[in-house]
Amino acid sequence: MIDFLNIGIQAAIPIMLVTMGGVIAYRAGILHLGLEGLMLIGAFAAVAVTIRTGSVALGVVAAMLVNAVVSLLFWILVDVLRADLYIAGLGLSLTGVGLTSFLLEAIFKTQGAVHAQSGLPSVVGGNRHGLLGLFAGLSVLAWATPVLVFGTWLVLRRTRLGLRVSAVGEYPFAARSAGVNVGAVRCGALVAAGIFCALGGAELALAAINSFGEDMAQGRGYLAVTAVLFGAGHPLGAAVAALFFGLADAVGIESQLSTHHILPVQFILMVPYVLTIVAISISSAIRSRRGAPAVFAELRES
Amino acid sequence: MISRDTVLRAARSALVVLAAFAIAGVIYQITGYSLGQVFSGTWEGAVSAPGALDSSLRWAVPLLLIALGVTIAFRAGFFNVGAQGQLYAGAIAALLVGVWVKGLPTPIGIVLVVLAGCIGGAIWSLVPGVLRAYLQADEVITTLMMNFIALLLLQWVASGPLKDPAGSGQADQTRSVADHLRLSDATGISLRIVLLAAVATVAVGVLLNRTQFGLRVRVAGRNPTMARWQGVDARHLAVQAFMLSGLLAGLAGAIELLGPGGQLTYGFSPDVGFIGIVIALVGGLRIGGVVIAALFFGGLHAAILYLPIVTNLPSSALDLLNGLVALLITISAVPAIWHRRRRRAAESSALNTDVPRVEVSAAP
Repeated sequence: MIDFLNIGIQAAIPIMLVTMGGVIAYRAGILHLGLEGLMLIGAFAAVAVTIRTGSVALGVVAAMLVNAVVSLLFWILVDVLRADLYIAGLGLSLTGVGLTSFLLEAIFKTQGAVHAQSGLPSVVGGNRHGLLGLFAGLSVLAWATPVLVFGTWLVLRRTRLGLRVSAVGEYPFAARSAGVNVGAVRCGALVAAGIFCALGGAELALAAINSFGEDMAQGRGYLAVTAVLFGAGHPLGAAVAALFFGLADAVGIESQLSTHHILPVQFILMVPYVLTIVAISISSAIRSRRGAPAVFAELRES
Repeated sequence: MISRDTVLRAARSALVVLAAFAIAGVIYQITGYSLGQVFSGTWEGAVSAPGALDSSLRWAVPLLLIALGVTIAFRAGFFNVGAQGQLYAGAIAALLVGVWVKGLPTPIGIVLVVLAGCIGGAIWSLVPGVLRAYLQADEVITTLMMNFIALLLLQWVASGPLKDPAGSGQADQTRSVADHLRLSDATGISLRIVLLAAVATVAVGVLLNRTQFGLRVRVAGRNPTMARWQGVDARHLAVQAFMLSGLLAGLAGAIELLGPGGQLTYGFSPDVGFIGIVIALVGGLRIGGVVIAALFFGGLHAAILYLPIVTNLPSSALDLLNGLVALLITISAVPAIWHRRRRRAAESSALNTDVPRVEVSAAP
């Protein structure tokens, strides 16, 4: 049981970090479908720089920088050049898959995976028993994740900046008339989202396996989008959803190992997506009955 | 007579594709690949090498069918990004029937399997359609989720109930349909498949441009309020548009099964659904444009599989190119600065309207 929870937590942490990025963008009125691509780019940058410099810290910093730049370009696309948010987001994800797989072959001359000589240090070593086993092998970044989640909540829900971000997301017209620079807030939110994706990617690649493999995000970025929606954009709710998805992932891993199935594992893995469809339907039905404005209206239609 | 409008649209799409090629070209050059080699390799893989044209057509067919479906949904104002899931759902439904109809005469069997594919895709698309029409649930989210559900369903089908008994333990593959039901050999292209795609294209063209339904779709897509005033039942229209859109993707799924595959593999043709969306946009949501774009991207897809054989360029190089086109294709030709001058005109995305942005910018 402890082992199972440990696997679940390890699977959840990268998703949770990316989810926080998604939450920040969501608050600013952007449903970010490029998270998958940013996660991959972050993971690749972290591994590549770690290999070249030998320093994991430099790798993580480089990943954050790269993703900040990519997010800035993405902001220019969707806010300045008015590209469609969803198509450009999906495009960013496809570009991320293509670019990282391409660079993997172009730079490291390999199709499968490259290994870094070192990874993120873990605080509690492996093979602990008892309650400590729950945290065995978790990286420093994993330990920092609850702090980052709480920090995101604090900034978004308890500061003027957070209020501004929400205003931009919910009613940009009013925010603009109140003197908020809507474009700058969106830009900041996207860059912050990119940086969180870099952390998620670094955690994915450097926490346990210390390597980058082709298309290694395997839909985790989209799972993060799902977690954001499922948590209705609330940082803590989304984090809980991410944790739940991580545990569902662990169920998947577990049931591949065991032979007695109550339910095919695919149907367990479907649960997050089905629940999201149900949740979105219920909340939109309530919204439309109240006559509330549709979410993400401005960037898509203004 | 080709209108000025059409020329401008085509120029805009061509410009976007060229820009994507340019950016990708810079990346290839920096990483040490010779641009000439890449482009000659692409040309060979898509056109001039033996069998290359067949391979290009083989990929153009599913891409075209998906793009046609996307065109219907987008024109009606619905952002159906669920083509991949609808393709899988159609393919799974076709497989279920395909395994079951073994004993029937060939023509009836084929018709039944193709119909099953269409229905499977339509049903898969109907879920987000109904949720959108009756509960206002955002179709981007629901169709995206349906994609992942379909992928998992395919994995289950391919590893569980319909697993290939002869297959290796590693790859998840389904049982095969009987040989006499197949529409083509492993090349994936035959006269029957091309005819099927042509009929579907003409049908969609007639439907969108020559029928009342097409008119309603256009009005509703451009201006839902006006459509309501003209007595268009928005809910019916949404459900119909989603169904047709899914039906075409499902048809593509049935053809993938009866044509090149003969069986289904977990995660087959992974990016086809999304590239179909890109094709619809590059084609300017017009039938003629979509056909040309589908042939172009079909060629690129064929080249993706050919490039690693002749050059040392990995196939992911062209994934990158497709991604870049997707990133750039919806940029409105009018920069936001111009919009601010016009106090943010009511619309700007090239998707929301049939009127090309280029033309607006030409006005003083």
